Amino acid sequence: MSSLLEKIDHYRRLFADQVARVKEAREVEELRQAFLGRKKGHLTLLFEEFKTLGPEEKKSAGRQLNELKSEIQNRLGELEQKLQAPARVKQLEDLTLPGRQLYWGAPHPITLFQREIERIFISMGFSVEEGPEIETDYYNFEALNFPPHHPARDAWDTLYINDKLLLRTHTSPVQIRVMEKKKPPIRIIIPGKVFRRETPDPTHLPMFYQVEGLVVDRGITFAHLKGTLEYFIKALFGEKIKLRFRPSFFPFTEPSAEVDIECIVCGGQDAACRVCGGSGWKEILGAGMVDPQVFKNVNIDPEVYSGWAFGLGIDRTAMFAFQIPEIRHFYENDLRFLRQFNRR
Amino acid sequence: MKISYAWLKEFVNLNLPPEELAGCLNQIGLMVESVTAAGEDTVFEIETYANRPDTLGHLGVAREIATLLDLSLKTRNWPLKELPQSTSSLVDINILDPQLCPRYCGLVVKGVRVGPSPDWLKKRLEAVGLRPINNVVDVSNYVCFSLGQPIHTFDLAKLKGSKIKIRKARKGETIRTLEGQRVELEPDMLVIADETTPVAIAGVIGGEESGITESTTDVFIESANFNPVSIRLTAKKLGLSTDASYRFERGADPNAAPVAAVMAASLLCEFGGRVSRGLLDVYPAPRKPRSITLRLRRINELLGLEIEPEFVVKTLTGLGLKLKEQGPQVWTAEIPSFRVDLEREADLVEEVARFYGYDRIPSAVTPVKSFELPADRRRDRVWRLKEVLFHHGFDEVINFSFTDPEKEQSWQTGCQPIRLQNPISAKLSALRTSLLPGLVENAVWNFNREAEGVHIFEVGNIYYWEQEETHRENLNLGILTTGLRSGRTWKENEKETDFYVLKGAVEDICYYLGYDQLSFEPVEHPFFEPGQALRIQVKNEPVGLLGLLNSNLARSYDLERPVYCAEIDLNELLRKQPRAFSFQPVPRYPGTSRDLSFLVEDSLNYQQIQQQLQKLNIPYLENFQIYDRFQGKSLPPGMVSFSVRFYFRHSARTLQTEEVDRAMQEITSQLKSTLKIRLR
Repeated sequence: MSSLLEKIDHYRRLFADQVARVKEAREVEELRQAFLGRKKGHLTLLFEEFKTLGPEEKKSAGRQLNELKSEIQNRLGELEQKLQAPARVKQLEDLTLPGRQLYWGAPHPITLFQREIERIFISMGFSVEEGPEIETDYYNFEALNFPPHHPARDAWDTLYINDKLLLRTHTSPVQIRVMEKKKPPIRIIIPGKVFRRETPDPTHLPMFYQVEGLVVDRGITFAHLKGTLEYFIKALFGEKIKLRFRPSFFPFTEPSAEVDIECIVCGGQDAACRVCGGSGWKEILGAGMVDPQVFKNVNIDPEVYSGWAFGLGIDRTAMFAFQIPEIRHFYENDLRFLRQFNRR
Repeated sequence: MKISYAWLKEFVNLNLPPEELAGCLNQIGLMVESVTAAGEDTVFEIETYANRPDTLGHLGVAREIATLLDLSLKTRNWPLKELPQSTSSLVDINILDPQLCPRYCGLVVKGVRVGPSPDWLKKRLEAVGLRPINNVVDVSNYVCFSLGQPIHTFDLAKLKGSKIKIRKARKGETIRTLEGQRVELEPDMLVIADETTPVAIAGVIGGEESGITESTTDVFIESANFNPVSIRLTAKKLGLSTDASYRFERGADPNAAPVAAVMAASLLCEFGGRVSRGLLDVYPAPRKPRSITLRLRRINELLGLEIEPEFVVKTLTGLGLKLKEQGPQVWTAEIPSFRVDLEREADLVEEVARFYGYDRIPSAVTPVKSFELPADRRRDRVWRLKEVLFHHGFDEVINFSFTDPEKEQSWQTGCQPIRLQNPISAKLSALRTSLLPGLVENAVWNFNREAEGVHIFEVGNIYYWEQEETHRENLNLGILTTGLRSGRTWKENEKETDFYVLKGAVEDICYYLGYDQLSFEPVEHPFFEPGQALRIQVKNEPVGLLGLLNSNLARSYDLERPVYCAEIDLNELLRKQPRAFSFQPVPRYPGTSRDLSFLVEDSLNYQQIQQQLQKLNIPYLENFQIYDRFQGKSLPPGMVSFSVRFYFRHSARTLQTEEVDRAMQEITSQLKSTLKIRLR
């Protein structure tokens, strides 16, 4: 029987010989079992034999045996990495398949457009106020300088709850409520739901949204109204939009104005334009200098303070901006309509 | 209001092309809605305003154009062929209520040959959309649309006696109008009566009996002024709006009454008429002209420009005002009686601005003198809440605030609905007391239009009577989820929505808004299927409900798939103080987790277990999470298995295995005593 040292030498050569022929990761594992297996591995058996040696022999054999073991371990480890590493990456078969998309809910277009308007005014230092939808005749009409039984009320056809209460026909009562509790300077916008006694048709509904603006301070002029609304409309419709101011009548403003913007649908080129009727202009908002009687009604001295106000229909403006043909789309809540607006 | 170009030329010399005239009308606020060529004439449809009755006749519009173009109005003469008799010998006018009838003028024209109008007159009327009837009626319309002063013509022979009484109607009196309708009069309505009966409803419509017919020869011309409010109330009550009432309720010019009477009489002379001598003009309390002080400084202050005083004087004088200099650049302006809208200095500022041209007023930035912090963050929170729902894939809807009270009744919302006095239709006759019926209708609408799943929410008011006489509007959030959550993808199958999709959204809203103390209690409510609903509570106070829609309700909408919905009182929720945000240091030492699976009696629900777990007083226990619930045949009967993962961490060092072991033993023994758990 050859000595342990000879056996070590034998297995070293055997390992070198076999390891050179390894081509697959599976063979690495087989080699590991053959040499280092817990029960019958060649080296495991040599270590068993090593235990029977005397102290002199142990010295040189022990070192060589350990050297061989770590040599085998290292070599197998290297091979394993080399052979297995690329195989671990799973190959995708078809990268052209669609990715996983997440559905993000859509804001209602009125909400969206209202926020765009709010943002423009907030950037100019305005704050946002709200008020009740059920109102009294005083706040909805009288305080806003609509005399009782005046035909001016006809343009604000009203839904009544009883002799005292009604559904607000505009957001203007909030102007009164704010001015009652707060002294100038006032710089607010008031978005909200309003109600009119209108039979539903493509451009009218009994409920819609408005946004109203109010500025009250010393030295506020019509020129300020013009400058602010021009900026607002350009911010909303783009730098190039043309607009015009023309006289109008509202009981709560004097002088009063209406603002038209150029028809973005036909640009005034289509005599039969469904949107502007061929005039090339689309009425977009009403405005004016706060009527002195309105100031008196809230105990603000019109000799000291002046102010401007405007009101705009959010639905109508959104219809114009997005070219939505019928106002009722907004309240039918058809998902095929609503879901378009989360891409806006 | 239709304005004929040819008719305008009767009052002012104009020769500019119609498109230019339209531009002029727009500049001064008589907005042209359409321009139509009508033979040699051109007709402008203009928008008029409730405060400008003077523009309801061609003269008023001509005056505006003349002022803008610096032209003068033509003076027209109305010659009369007179009778020997005086008017007062033929009729006797008695105003019994001078409040309601400040002025009444009358003339008698005898020997009129009633017949078709001459072509010029027919053309005028047709241009403005009126149907020619006979020369007498046509003359009264021509006068009305010229001056804006309505007149009425009676067949003198049909009036009983010579007395014309302007009085209130008596109870039980009726009249058959020119439109052939029998009308019951009420005691607050003003009428024109002969000695026996009412012959006209003052300022609204004449009576058929005293009307002009082919056989009429003698005509009584009425040209009066009536109280606007009285006319409006009468016209509204009777549901009648006539050219006359439309003008009187806006405030006609009392000084136009005599002019219109003479103009009409003169025109009737063309048809053989002879006019009684002396206009009868009853005007018990002649109105004094109004005067307003106007300061140039004020004009400039309000408009933000420097205007020439000459322009102010020229413009206002053109409009018929008489200006007297009161001091340097301060005037007293006497207002003509036809301008009922000019009452304050601001009204005159508008007149100056209109004719100066709004487009010529400069534009300026509105100065900011102070900054204000927002009063509260409520609006931001509502938006944040919407963002959470968008993230969960819910689309936002907005429904009408109106509802059909019959239909809503089946929901048993428990709120007293607010009904409208004058609704548009029965379906829109009350205000909603819950957002859920609207959301369910939206689901039906979309299922009927190819949708496979509907996941929507609405933020809006509900309305109800809190007590008799005390109404309330309350901001609510409604959420609904039904059907497939998202379409099939090649990676995974489509998923049906469920209760926990909805509950997760509600929990996330509270989490991201900082409302920490969220809990749920089983509840029975008519909206929901028995045993399938929870009350949502924050800080142990109810803020809403969620659950599976009651199957009877679902069936009544023909909904086959289960519908999960929630309604939250946002006033209540947003009133709660959210947890103040504070930064927590990022952990520096690793944490560790242990799982515990145990059996409890199936009468216990998760929330009861969770409450016990929250009460555990274990050092280093950072968090816990349920990851499985199982009930089945492999378990002892009446038992349910829960698996919970516990997370441990020490803030100042790495935890030792033995410490975690001890904590787990502690947890196990506490749960054994509180929940009687059995380890699996």
